[in-house]
Amino acid sequence: MKAMSPEQEAVNAVKSTIGNSVLESKVPRPRRVYIRVKPEAHRKAVSALLQTFPLTTISTITGVDLGETIEINYHLWCGKAEVTIRTNVPKSKPEIETITDIIPGASLYEREVHDLLGINFANHPNMTRLLLPESWPENSYPLRKDWNPEQTGKLSDSSEKTPTIGGVWTENNGSSLVNVVVGPQHPMLHEPERFLFKLDGEIVIDVEPRLGYAHRGIEKGAEHLMFFQDVHLVERVCGICNVAHTTCFCQAVEMLGEIEVPPRALYLRTIVHELNRIHSHLLLLGIAGLEIGFESLFQYIWRDRETVLDLTEKLTGNRVMAEYSTIGGVRRDLTPVLGDEIKRDLRKMKSRLKFYREVFQSDPTVELRTKGIGMLSREEALKLCVVGPVARGSGVRSDVRKHDPYAAYEDAPFDEVLYKDGDSWSRLMVRLDEVDESIDIITWAVDNVPSGPYRTRVPRRMPEGEALSRVEAPRGELIHYVRGNGTAYPERVKIRSPTLANIISFREMIRGCYVADIPAVLVSLDPCFSCTDRMAFIDEKSGRRWIWTMNDLKARRRTL
Amino acid sequence: MSPVSLLKWARLKSPWILHFNSGACNACDIEVVALLTPRYDIERFGVLPKATPRHADVLIATGPVTRQAALRLKRIYEQMPEPKFVIAVGACASSGAPFKKCYNVLGGVDKVIPVDVYVPGCPPKPESILYGVTKLLEKIKEAEE
Repeated sequence: MKAMSPEQEAVNAVKSTIGNSVLESKVPRPRRVYIRVKPEAHRKAVSALLQTFPLTTISTITGVDLGETIEINYHLWCGKAEVTIRTNVPKSKPEIETITDIIPGASLYEREVHDLLGINFANHPNMTRLLLPESWPENSYPLRKDWNPEQTGKLSDSSEKTPTIGGVWTENNGSSLVNVVVGPQHPMLHEPERFLFKLDGEIVIDVEPRLGYAHRGIEKGAEHLMFFQDVHLVERVCGICNVAHTTCFCQAVEMLGEIEVPPRALYLRTIVHELNRIHSHLLLLGIAGLEIGFESLFQYIWRDRETVLDLTEKLTGNRVMAEYSTIGGVRRDLTPVLGDEIKRDLRKMKSRLKFYREVFQSDPTVELRTKGIGMLSREEALKLCVVGPVARGSGVRSDVRKHDPYAAYEDAPFDEVLYKDGDSWSRLMVRLDEVDESIDIITWAVDNVPSGPYRTRVPRRMPEGEALSRVEAPRGELIHYVRGNGTAYPERVKIRSPTLANIISFREMIRGCYVADIPAVLVSLDPCFSCTDRMAFIDEKSGRRWIWTMNDLKARRRTL
Repeated sequence: MSPVSLLKWARLKSPWILHFNSGACNACDIEVVALLTPRYDIERFGVLPKATPRHADVLIATGPVTRQAALRLKRIYEQMPEPKFVIAVGACASSGAPFKKCYNVLGGVDKVIPVDVYVPGCPPKPESILYGVTKLLEKIKEAEE
């Protein structure tokens, strides 16, 4: 008997449990499975998949407005294939049962769909706003096709109210229990986000992030631009991992239009993608140095990072926004001279990495501030469906380049970096080791880049259909889901960036930590935003408020 | 030296900056941070990044203004002591492009607070931001004389 393919295995797992509720199943390309089930059967389908593949994690949930109904797509990675379980809900009664009790990691995705498409997930523990401002009017859902752009509400002061977790806190028995608001203004690099910490003295009891300060509405904006214009829009989702976004989007559109990309372009994409990863990881390691009070490390690492930015500029024309991948290939060619220069500069970088490894492995400051702090166990990491270096720091295999290869990664020689401890230190070390691996990949790609064209001409119109593309961004698995309708404009573009998957685990990590560890733990997550320059402390008993700056916080660092 | 001219001299020699991102994609933000690092080293102009608006003379604003961040940006500007200056870094902070038509974006920083210097680019290179800062210093010098 022929061995069953993983795709077929996934279909059978669902069919054997709820066979009569499966309406349709298809496998359009390797490692992509779409299963349509009857309404109300989605929970059983997800459970069945989880039973057959215990390592299943949820990638995201996409809602698509089809006119009379809204289609809910649950994208799940079962370890060998990306399975999409979909069902329709009527717009007149947009309600569906939650799956958070089966997969807790779905919590934020359900809130996102609720926020932008108005789907009510019954029995969800905390069905509140995620992205849109508090002043946004009720019953106005921007991702619905019949949404009126006038319905954006007035700017009011409602978002300025002091937030609370779980209402009034009554168990105050004389100890100094406080709520701490962090953000959204910061001194340095990070995006504006707000965190509410619940503290017992110095110990963090709970945290709730408030996202949406940087929510711009790119998914809706993408529907109003043509595919080739969208490449430039999605590049600006994130300025740090921009290459991952363009590569991911171009791959999705190429799958949709069945466009053959020249092999040389695939190798060039790999080179720029890895340069981007090195720059992002070094950036983070430097910031980590800053947050643990080791500023010279920050200055050293950022000085060496300039090398990578120079190489990126020489290859793509820009330091940060590479604008390199495009539908059907890449925009510039690599000359042999530049290839040699890349190899030479990265060799130098490799010797600097030895020094940084020594610092991270043996410096007492780094050890005291990161080892054994911000723990995330393997079980929790799987349950919360975290991605990228956060997952790999807890020993979960999650490298998309290895398990769902794209571009030239199928042939590239590299190892998936895994650390088992699950503390801040492991997460930082994963990144340090990945820089090493990235240098090897680039050197290999420069040596082996095939000759030939680096770009093909593509039509502006794309056929009707859908495509789901995954890449390993510096922060983890990035997903673009693109649906075409036969015109030059996409019907729906769904983007799930890795930070949304990881931020949910911050609560698990920070519980029981000290206040002074908040910045170091948060930075080990490598969020595209971070907290803390200013904190308003509110004493629960007297209602007294006072402000601490980041420096005061650092002064309150734990003394051992 | 009179107290007034002493103040002016101090401000020109050491403008303290606050950086706020009101919805940017981080590209401008990392270029602003790159200014602090050895290759660009903006501290040689006496520029010092501060953590709170109450200590800052210059607000470096990046990114388009989102609805959620608009009032925060205004508040931060109001908390800065007079005289205060604003540099809008990047195409988004200058005009909102390419997010101008997105539903959660109001436009450039100048929709909410007055701007003194615009630095174009996506993102501007650290050299351009440096040039923008020196332009602002020239502007302050001329205005007070």
